[in-house]
Amino acid sequence: MTKKKLLVNIFGPILSVVVLISIWQSIVVWGHIASYIAPKPLDAVRSVTSNWSTLAPLTWWTIKETVYGYLAGALLGAFLGVILSKIPLMQRVLYPLLILTQAIPIIALAPPLVMILGFGVMPKVVIVAWIVFFPVTVSVLDGLNHVDKDLLTLAKVFGANPLRRFVVLEMPAAVTQLFSGLKIGATYAVTGAIIGELAASSGSSLALYQRSASGALDAAGVYGTTLIMTAIGIVWFLLVVGVEFLATPWQRRSTARRWRRGAKPVLPNN
Amino acid sequence: MNNSTLLDLRGVSKTFGTTTALSPMDLEIERGSFVSIVGPSGCGKSTLFNVLSGLLRPDDGTITLEGNNVIGATGHVGYMLQKDLLVPWRTVLGNITLGARLKGKVTPENRELATGFAEKYGLGEFLNHYPSALSGGMRQRVALMRTLATNHQLLLLDEPFGALDAQTRFEMQQWLLQVWRDTERTVLFITHDVDEAVFLSDRVLVMSPRPGRVVDDLRVDLPRPRTLDTLVSPAFTELKARVLHQLHRERAV
Ligand SMILES: Nc1ncnc2c1ncn2[C@@H]1O[C@H](COP(=O)(O)OP(=O)(O)O)[C@@H](O)[C@H]1O
Ligand SMILES: [Mg+2]
Repeated sequence: MTKKKLLVNIFGPILSVVVLISIWQSIVVWGHIASYIAPKPLDAVRSVTSNWSTLAPLTWWTIKETVYGYLAGALLGAFLGVILSKIPLMQRVLYPLLILTQAIPIIALAPPLVMILGFGVMPKVVIVAWIVFFPVTVSVLDGLNHVDKDLLTLAKVFGANPLRRFVVLEMPAAVTQLFSGLKIGATYAVTGAIIGELAASSGSSLALYQRSASGALDAAGVYGTTLIMTAIGIVWFLLVVGVEFLATPWQRRSTARRWRRGAKPVLPNN
Repeated sequence: MNNSTLLDLRGVSKTFGTTTALSPMDLEIERGSFVSIVGPSGCGKSTLFNVLSGLLRPDDGTITLEGNNVIGATGHVGYMLQKDLLVPWRTVLGNITLGARLKGKVTPENRELATGFAEKYGLGEFLNHYPSALSGGMRQRVALMRTLATNHQLLLLDEPFGALDAQTRFEMQQWLLQVWRDTERTVLFITHDVDEAVFLSDRVLVMSPRPGRVVDDLRVDLPRPRTLDTLVSPAFTELKARVLHQLHRERAV
């Protein structure tokens, strides 16, 4: 990547967020919008900082639900993708069931989950995993089903057994696809956690905090909570993108990173 | 079958439905020789390689390699398929040692051997490069090194230079001859380029389709090392003419 491109990549997103917030600020200030309808962006941020002692543990819970649910969903999703692609019978048996899981409205999932799992972290984790696993399964299945047939022939030529063939050729060949599923899942994960908190919380949670702020006509509190939720979503997505970046160096580099090299450099000036 | 015979086929045949891809074929290949197979596309050249490498089971016949029956087995030859099939997520070194990785662990010896090949044959600077950074000719070199690194005596090369431009192609031919001479392997080489076949080989087999069979088997006694001068020598032209006649007679029928 050139320096110029790097600058554009970093400052582009920052610029667009700054512009968006400026527009928001201008509309509220110059449009004389009442503070109980829409707050100024700074007020929303201030509401978060001044209530941070209350919000911090709630935020922490939401992060936990998102992360645990995501990891569980991603693992389950990848596992199911492998099973479906490797055992043809499973594609017949399991695939309709998987579609069915996604047809159930997520909100309607909460009451039975509460009955089974109570009001703790578990039902939210299950909801997040429920949403996340599906795109991962589909992408892994797709990736594995589209591995170059000649590559499989190559494995046979070398006399590789099916396990080695899978680990050495098929899995890496499906990695690009896997990450596209993981990224879609990452954008959904926090949404799942919030839906879970709305539908399956008794005590305190970010979602309920927002709801009571709304009841109290505390627009700054409502928007502030939204900012927190959004931040969790964005940070998680960026983490996944970061992992992809590290895990797939061949997509944008011409040589292996130093610590991944199997060979000592032989260039005289190296 | 005499002592120097590496590979011996007796009555090997293969049909796909109504297509006779190989009609019963007898063939002896001498250890250390360079043998080219030319023929129009669809005449069974790749099928012959698939049968030799164990990817396909022949309908009939025996295949003996270094005295052992190899029908039904895989992993006994180095086979370079028509596509280079480098895996994009492994470096040049990783690709050359792919065979070892597919059989188990890559040992330091595997790495040393691979590095040695790469350095000797013009890939030394590229060991840590990913294939996407390589030119077509370089990719073919890596694919051939990978085939060599399996340490099989018999190498099957299926149109390895088919996709290269003429100049790169000539360089690669010279390079391949050097590798072949140094490593003392036996090469079976498929090509549809008559010049290439005569230039490289000790022996050229001409195949024709429907049913797929060998219609001519000629010795090439041109002196080695072969150079640009070889290409313009009268002996070369004569051999080339004979192969072309065989090819076109078959096609005209
Ligand atoms: N797996 C296969 N199934 C059916 N027909 C095949 C198969 N492989 C090759 N053939 C047929 O066998 C004939 C020889 O093919 P091939 O050996 O690939 O030719 P070449 O490599 O000389 O171009 C062709 O007519 C081809 O269509
Ligand atoms: Mg072919």
